Amino acid sequence: MKILLADDAEVVRLMIGRFVESLGHQLVLANDGVEAVERCMAERPDIVLMDMLMPRMDGCEAARRIKQAMGSQWVPVVMVTAVEEVSKLADAMETAVDDYVLKPVNFRILEAKITAIERTVQLHRKVREQSDALAEYYDRAEEEKRVAQHLMEQLVNRERLSDPQLHCWIAPAASLSGDLIAAARTPGRVLHLMLADGIGHGLTAALNVLPLTQPFYAMTERGFMLPDILVEMHRKVRQVLPVGRFVALAFVSVDFVNRRVEVWNGGIPDIRLFDAQGGLLKRWKSRHLPLGILPPSQLDLSTERFVFGRRSNLVICSDGLLEARNTAGETFGAARLSLACSNLPANEALARTIGDLSTFLDGASCHDDVSLAIIDIDPSAVLPLPERGEDGDELPEFEGEPNWRYVLSLGAMQLRSLQVVPLIMGFIAQTKSLSHAHADIFLILTELFVNALDHGVLELSSDMKQGTDGMEHYLLERAARLAALKEGRIEIELAGHELAGRTMLRVRVTDSGHGFDRSWLDHGDDAKPSGRGISLVRALSASLHFFGNGNTVEACYLPRGDS
Amino acid sequence: MTALVEIDGQTGRLLLTGQFDFSAHRDFRQASDELLGAAAVHDILVDFQQVDYLDSSALGMLLLLKEKSAAAGKTLALVNCRDTVRQVLEIACFGKIFTIR
Repeated sequence: MKILLADDAEVVRLMIGRFVESLGHQLVLANDGVEAVERCMAERPDIVLMDMLMPRMDGCEAARRIKQAMGSQWVPVVMVTAVEEVSKLADAMETAVDDYVLKPVNFRILEAKITAIERTVQLHRKVREQSDALAEYYDRAEEEKRVAQHLMEQLVNRERLSDPQLHCWIAPAASLSGDLIAAARTPGRVLHLMLADGIGHGLTAALNVLPLTQPFYAMTERGFMLPDILVEMHRKVRQVLPVGRFVALAFVSVDFVNRRVEVWNGGIPDIRLFDAQGGLLKRWKSRHLPLGILPPSQLDLSTERFVFGRRSNLVICSDGLLEARNTAGETFGAARLSLACSNLPANEALARTIGDLSTFLDGASCHDDVSLAIIDIDPSAVLPLPERGEDGDELPEFEGEPNWRYVLSLGAMQLRSLQVVPLIMGFIAQTKSLSHAHADIFLILTELFVNALDHGVLELSSDMKQGTDGMEHYLLERAARLAALKEGRIEIELAGHELAGRTMLRVRVTDSGHGFDRSWLDHGDDAKPSGRGISLVRALSASLHFFGNGNTVEACYLPRGDS
Repeated sequence: MTALVEIDGQTGRLLLTGQFDFSAHRDFRQASDELLGAAAVHDILVDFQQVDYLDSSALGMLLLLKEKSAAAGKTLALVNCRDTVRQVLEIACFGKIFTIR
């Protein structure tokens, strides 16, 4: 250790100095108090041994200044003093001096004191190192948290939540939320919403839910349906999360055109649908294990559907909301939630629920992330199909070979297993002159393909859709016939023609079915569910023609202005 | 939370008390390792009689224990699940992969 010895008597400096050096310590000398302070600041000794009475500045004052100058670094000061100076020493010990040795100095005691102080110095140093490391760790963690927060926000894509029918709110327990709400529309304007809740909260929980966002957004954009997206999300979660980690998930799909809500709930509290008077129309309980637990082959994809007729609020929340506890130990619970979020328009219901929770908690904080989404199920919220401009109605004459052709010929096996329209949409997305019109093209392809498959190959009659359970019955029958399909073929041909600098898309779909009586098409009845699809295609296309006995259909489509 | 181990013949019981959440991680692992390591134990019972609450990290720990007990050739059951505990297990649909009594 480095020891500073301050004494005005040369004989003492010599005697104690020699002894200190003989113990193996490094010695620094000072002749008075002023010099002691200067040397101390320059040399930064581990211990200061100082005489009480010195010229220019006495030991007590020097000790005070040394302590002040050294700041947070602890430098023990030991006074070398005579018995008669005891009261002054006591005063000094209360402010700056750490220990003392009485004159005449007993070398055995001095040695023991130095050893004892050395122990304390080392302990001090260790604590200081640890606290420095802790401070550094804290700074780094804060910085990482800041970056993670930014990344999360980018990946979660907040602005996509600005759907006119969706009102939602997330309050993280830590700075990062383990709850995630994501929403997007398919090209066919079906609203997809997911609410995911990862284990715990903070960074690791946030990381757990992140793998879900990419398949959710990418596949929704390409028009995949709920079960396919779910399979991919499950695969992702299994792939990246360790055993014991999982994500509770509710996936909701709302088709405003066909007035259909479809829900898959794995580990999220009951999802409820309230009518405008606050009456409960439907409750979706958790029917599945959370994502990431079962092997992919065992994932149960069954969903529960509901056909709506009236305006209503669909309410989804994480358990953090129901289990939020006030100071009296009560939980917020489903009853309070039901009262708060029904019989008001969705946006006001959300605001009231947030207000009610805050009143209920009365300053207590939530121990888990809280998230709440209310979908305004409004049958009239069907986004109107854009009207075609007058000039777009007339299809210019065209002849000659197309610039490109894309042909698919699908047998029974492909029809059973392939997601045909999303597959073609992948191609459209890559075709520059058409990619901005992908919503229109998706609708045309979907309608023509579904017609060919359902009515042509599977020979389903649209009359089955009538009645309250009609749609459900129709979909079940469709799934059964498709699974059992042995024969049948659908040919799809897309061709791109250059017309006055624009790309015209020609879509031709042929099925192996018996065709149909086209006469009803001419006096189109919009009330019939089956007529709606073809009217839609007709509205979007420049021309629509049936050939043969009705099992070949061709639509020509000109993208609207490049806006 | 505390986790006590009781071994009676082939049956090893894990008695949990209090709130079962992430803070219970170390205690739960030590206690379950003790049961997993006991050669005589064939059936592991996790007893929730004294548990008032469990959260999603507790569910994660149960999944880990399930993996480990299957690897060790032991059966696993969750017993005496009441009120909140039962409700949380139900929402997570754990009845599909665990024996709950």
